[in-house]
Amino acid sequence: MDKKLVVPGETVSEERKRTGDNVIIRDGKIVSTALGLVFENDTTAGVIALEGVYIPKRGDIILGIIESEVFGGYIVDVNHSLKSFIPKKSMIKTLRKGNVISAKISEVNEVKEISVENVRVFYGGELIEAQPVKIPRMIGKNGSMLSVLKEGTGCSLMIGRNGWVWAKDGDINLLKKAIKKIEKEAHLNDLTNLIKKFLEKNKTKKVSK
Amino acid sequence: MSKEKPIWELKSEEVKKALRNGERLDGRKFDEYREIIVEKDLYKNAEGSANVSIGKTKVDAGVKLLAGEPYPDSPDQGTISVGVELSPLSSPEFKYGPPSEEAIEVSRVVDRGIREAKTIDFKKLCLKEGETVLIAFIDIYSTDHFGNLFDTSTLGAMASLLHSKIPKVEDGKVVKGEYSGKLPIDSTPLLCTFSKIDDFIVVDPSIEEEKATDARLSISVNEKGVLSAFQKGESGSFTLSEVDEMIKIALKRTKDLRKKVE
Amino acid sequence: MKEKKIQYVKNGKRLDGRKVDELRPIKIEAGVLSRAQGSAYVEWGQNKALAAVFGPHEALPQHIQNPKKALVNFVYRMAAFSVPDRKNPRPGRRDIEISKVCSEALEKAILVEKFPNTMIDVFVQILDSNAGTRITGLAAASVALADAGIPMKDMVSGVAVGKAGGEILTDLTKDEEDAPDAVDMPIAILPNTEEIVLLQMDGLLTTDEWKKAKELGIQGCKKVYELQKEALLKKYKNSETKQKKQKPKTKTKSKAVKK
Repeated sequence: MDKKLVVPGETVSEERKRTGDNVIIRDGKIVSTALGLVFENDTTAGVIALEGVYIPKRGDIILGIIESEVFGGYIVDVNHSLKSFIPKKSMIKTLRKGNVISAKISEVNEVKEISVENVRVFYGGELIEAQPVKIPRMIGKNGSMLSVLKEGTGCSLMIGRNGWVWAKDGDINLLKKAIKKIEKEAHLNDLTNLIKKFLEKNKTKKVSK
Repeated sequence: MSKEKPIWELKSEEVKKALRNGERLDGRKFDEYREIIVEKDLYKNAEGSANVSIGKTKVDAGVKLLAGEPYPDSPDQGTISVGVELSPLSSPEFKYGPPSEEAIEVSRVVDRGIREAKTIDFKKLCLKEGETVLIAFIDIYSTDHFGNLFDTSTLGAMASLLHSKIPKVEDGKVVKGEYSGKLPIDSTPLLCTFSKIDDFIVVDPSIEEEKATDARLSISVNEKGVLSAFQKGESGSFTLSEVDEMIKIALKRTKDLRKKVE
Repeated sequence: MKEKKIQYVKNGKRLDGRKVDELRPIKIEAGVLSRAQGSAYVEWGQNKALAAVFGPHEALPQHIQNPKKALVNFVYRMAAFSVPDRKNPRPGRRDIEISKVCSEALEKAILVEKFPNTMIDVFVQILDSNAGTRITGLAAASVALADAGIPMKDMVSGVAVGKAGGEILTDLTKDEEDAPDAVDMPIAILPNTEEIVLLQMDGLLTTDEWKKAKELGIQGCKKVYELQKEALLKKYKNSETKQKKQKPKTKTKSKAVKK
């Protein structure tokens, strides 16, 4: 593997560059703040974290579970340290405790509280917990991995940046295995093909049985 | 009980759906345990110790034998004291502080299973009648909670007792840091726990199954196939024939468990 | 106390055969627990510590929340069977003090300002002990935090240095700590900048002895840092070569740390 693994505090680059994700500047050097893989090009140096909690960003699509109904709105668990709130007046549909929703983050304020918009409800199916830092790998470049997962398992899929995956129909058990495999091998190259092969192999097994 | 995260309710539904299809979420049969791993003698300061896992559920257990005063009604007998800590390392639901009802229930069930099965001849722990006896303190810490801490804790307690040393005694006093041999163990009772979910009964419930449980039954069985403790929990109920069926399974499964600790 | 005067260093060797600046064998493993967000297990001589990290989660009750930063809640607990006499399971003043100074040490390394109004829990369970457990726990905590992916500007690495029989030593054992003139000085640093984040000392130490102790301390911390780093990287190098998933706490021989 060509990418270098670093731990927090290790130097990523000694050159003057723009800082990417998961790095800070210390004494003029770019230093990692995470356990992860170095990525560096001519202008930028950063680290792709291999572990970590979800840090909300404006524009992210996330999944949530309605935790309770309060006056004027709903409290939503979004797998983040702080709960989110959906005002009732912002949507036509009525939500109920336990509903799975997706939403777009419209704002993250200075104390990291999240406001959401474009709320959609998902009925039935299953919610699968995945590692938030591995979610980009589950989507892939231009959604390449997502298509592989959909085709390989036959599931309807909704992937939230906050580490939750909703799936319905299809082979959900195979999907869960594929997710575990992506998490474990997220740092390997050519992951999309690996997963494609993995899904094909396990699919045929099931048919032959 | 702490307030449940909504995700557990969703998982409960998945558990029930699978059971209706005759399956468990992790692919086990209804009467099958998860993988059991027992490692013994890990900690030098303990007289006996073990790290036990059932599936991903894990506990660390240790035995200390200390001199103490006997109870007035049994002046020639030592005793045991079991403490199970549902440690915050093992689950975000557990907090530091005084033991919860849940922790006390597990401690008491482990304690009774061992005590009532006459696992240790308490007379052998008498140093000086009416004055000094040995007390076996068995302390168990959960380190990963994925369901069935009852059986995992009992397994941890028995594994550490079975390989425990006994301190050397001179003139009715314990000689620090020296041992005279192994702690005499007469019986190996082990616990087997069941969950009833809707009308299905499964052994060794996973955490998802525990959250969906209507009724729970733990059965302690010794090496001769004699029952030594029951504990029913949660608000659901069992029929007598269900209990008979569970006893049958417990007799078989505790045999398998016993092979792992001996 | 023994009547015969003990010679703590003879022909350059200590009671257990180590050199004055040599650490006990240390074994670190990252990611040993599944329920926790991050975890680590450390064997340091006879010391054994398990660390689990949870969070950041909302700090409760609300009045403890800080809108500028996350609170770091390091909790140090000894198992009842981890000491020669049974430890009372209720935390004593010592447990609480250690928890406080270690929380503060870790806070310096963690980018706490990224998680306002939250708390990061770092729970440490000592399973076996023989001098130096707070440093063992801190080493485990730092690896567990990195394993959890909590953003940090550096690791935290520590060692206890001290004095026994007039000699300045790295990583004292209980036997050495029992010396009549014993000094115990736990020290922890951010290894890349050598900023001191934990420093305690009890006993009598001349300024010359402090200079020596300080040097040994920094040296020791850096060796510990290398082992922490190795443990974190190993978790990924293993999966790369497609080795079988390791069972935590296997009884592999601990690797001795030589100078």
